[in-house]
Amino acid sequence: MSPPQQPSSTNPNSLKIRLTHRFLHNLNNLNKKRSNLDNTQIHQRYNRVKLAAYASMAHVVGSRRAWSRAILWKIRNRKVSTRHKRVDHKPTNHHHARSIKRRTTNHSNPKREYVDPNGNSGQEVKLRKLVPGVETMDACGLLDETADYIKCLATQVEVMRNLVDLFSTI
Amino acid sequence: MEKDGFFNTPQPWNSLFGMELESQVNEMNCSPEQLPNCFLSRNWDHSMDQSDPFESALSSIVSSPVNSHSGVPIPASENVVLKELIGRLGSICNSGEISNSTNTSCYNTPMNSPPKLNLSIMDHQIPVPIPGSLPIPRNHQLPPAPFPADPGFVERAARFSSFGMNESEFPHMVESGKVSRRVSNKQCFKTTELSIPIPGSDKKFSRELDNSMEESSLSEQIPIGETGNGYKGQNSNSNGRKRKAIPKGKGKETQFSTVSAIDNKTIGELEKEESDAKRSKSGEEGNGMEKEKEKEKIKEEWNRNQNQKQTKEAAKLPEPPKDYIHVRARRGQATDSHSLAERVRREKISERMKFLQDLVPGCNKVTGKAIMLDEIINYVQSLQRQVEFLSMKLATINPRTDMNMEALLSKDTRASMLNTMNHLDAPAQPFYGLVHARPENPLTSMMHHGSNMKSSQTHGFGEASAFWENDLQSVVQMGFQNQGPIFHGIMGTGQMKVEL
Repeated sequence: MSPPQQPSSTNPNSLKIRLTHRFLHNLNNLNKKRSNLDNTQIHQRYNRVKLAAYASMAHVVGSRRAWSRAILWKIRNRKVSTRHKRVDHKPTNHHHARSIKRRTTNHSNPKREYVDPNGNSGQEVKLRKLVPGVETMDACGLLDETADYIKCLATQVEVMRNLVDLFSTI
Repeated sequence: MEKDGFFNTPQPWNSLFGMELESQVNEMNCSPEQLPNCFLSRNWDHSMDQSDPFESALSSIVSSPVNSHSGVPIPASENVVLKELIGRLGSICNSGEISNSTNTSCYNTPMNSPPKLNLSIMDHQIPVPIPGSLPIPRNHQLPPAPFPADPGFVERAARFSSFGMNESEFPHMVESGKVSRRVSNKQCFKTTELSIPIPGSDKKFSRELDNSMEESSLSEQIPIGETGNGYKGQNSNSNGRKRKAIPKGKGKETQFSTVSAIDNKTIGELEKEESDAKRSKSGEEGNGMEKEKEKEKIKEEWNRNQNQKQTKEAAKLPEPPKDYIHVRARRGQATDSHSLAERVRREKISERMKFLQDLVPGCNKVTGKAIMLDEIINYVQSLQRQVEFLSMKLATINPRTDMNMEALLSKDTRASMLNTMNHLDAPAQPFYGLVHARPENPLTSMMHHGSNMKSSQTHGFGEASAFWENDLQSVVQMGFQNQGPIFHGIMGTGQMKVEL
């Protein structure tokens, strides 16, 4: 059996395995919370699965990285807010990490060569919006976080794809 | 008398080099000002074609004045002579084609002691009077030579004389806690900044040294230096002047990796050891910083010489005590601190961009920061979209496989499941075979179908099947049989989307 080739810089097997563990764990927790079996709530499930994916990514990385800390913080806030508000899980309520960024993206970054007051080009601004938690970092740190984020995202995508393949062929 | 003691030491030299040395000794007895010129005019290079005996002689010569003057500052004249000695030693080393055994680091530092140093030069040492308290490791252990007067001299001499060295010589000299590194390279590396602590009067020619690394320059400078304040207590002056480093709170040592690709490890180790040694030894913080800086520069030069590159690279030497980053300006570039800092920052960013290039597939040919950033942004966006899509897929699939989830998370099958999934992206073994007679047949056949359908994805389903035998297969088969057609439909629709 050929060994898997992982893009992660750390021990590849450990990152992927940890991600898998964590993701399955989160998925199971999500499934246990509410069992939505009908198609009308697939969107809710989708959101929760997506959240579980990002949460597992952030948990595996821990607090070492700015982006993981940002994701964990947002998830925590989201849980707190939903618990207080007791709002039904609607698509507009999910304070997903990326969704928050999307809301601000449209307002402040039209499609042109946008230069920040700091002198950042539009590309950097876009990158800052894509990667969580790098708003206030300099260019060096931004690139570092982006690299780590890409690595973890790629691994997470791989894990999810494998899961999908595994489940879909059952 | 000290002078006598010093001048007695050349005797071994005389024995080795005959008349030349004698004449030189006589010259040494001459006025100090003449000595440098006399020394430098000698063809010591020829006489230095001896290996170990010469080395031992040198060590004896060097050590004797050290011993005799332990704790006593050597008069200027003797300092001059010693400086000449050092200069000559450097030039001798520069002649370069002496066997490696002779190319020893005249200036012993604790750095030399670690066995991991690969430099052949490090194996040999030409002990040099080391001002200040510096234990000389390695073969020739000298007591710390009290040369407070010439903190800069030995270092300077070493540096200047060693600029012509070709080989990977790395003699290190520590004086008063400073370390000066010799670059064994015949090619002169001209740098726009020097961090050699030279007395105030030496400022000019120390910079001129950049242009003339030959002995002649050395001869010019040494007398000039001598006529200076006598190298006593000059550290403060030199310290204030020397530093072109940018005082910034960047204590990163990452630049070491960028400085030289070759001998990176040894140099890095050397650096760290040197810095440690210096920190432990330097009684003067300013000297320590300049030492490190100079070491860094010499190391740079050495690296470049090794690589036979003529380009200068900025090297930053993080100094933990002062948290400075010393950068050397390249030739022909601005030397003010702002541009240096800017260059440091740009190099860091470019380094990270290169790393990102490896991460993002298909970016090998892309050059340019803007294009690279675009690619990175696109890749991150595509990854996030993939996560969304896959989570949607999982959401649709999941409710039907709740039982599988439980089973999957069971400890018995977890490891195997993970292994299965982790290996799924391996190239699929084409299973176009028929259903086997084994219990897991339906599953494997389904997986084969799945693998066939998903042409864009290659997964080792055959391998997965092996793991499914144990506990999952019953559950899986149950789920499979119930939802087979649904899965087919889902897979059919999903197939279109999978190929992103």
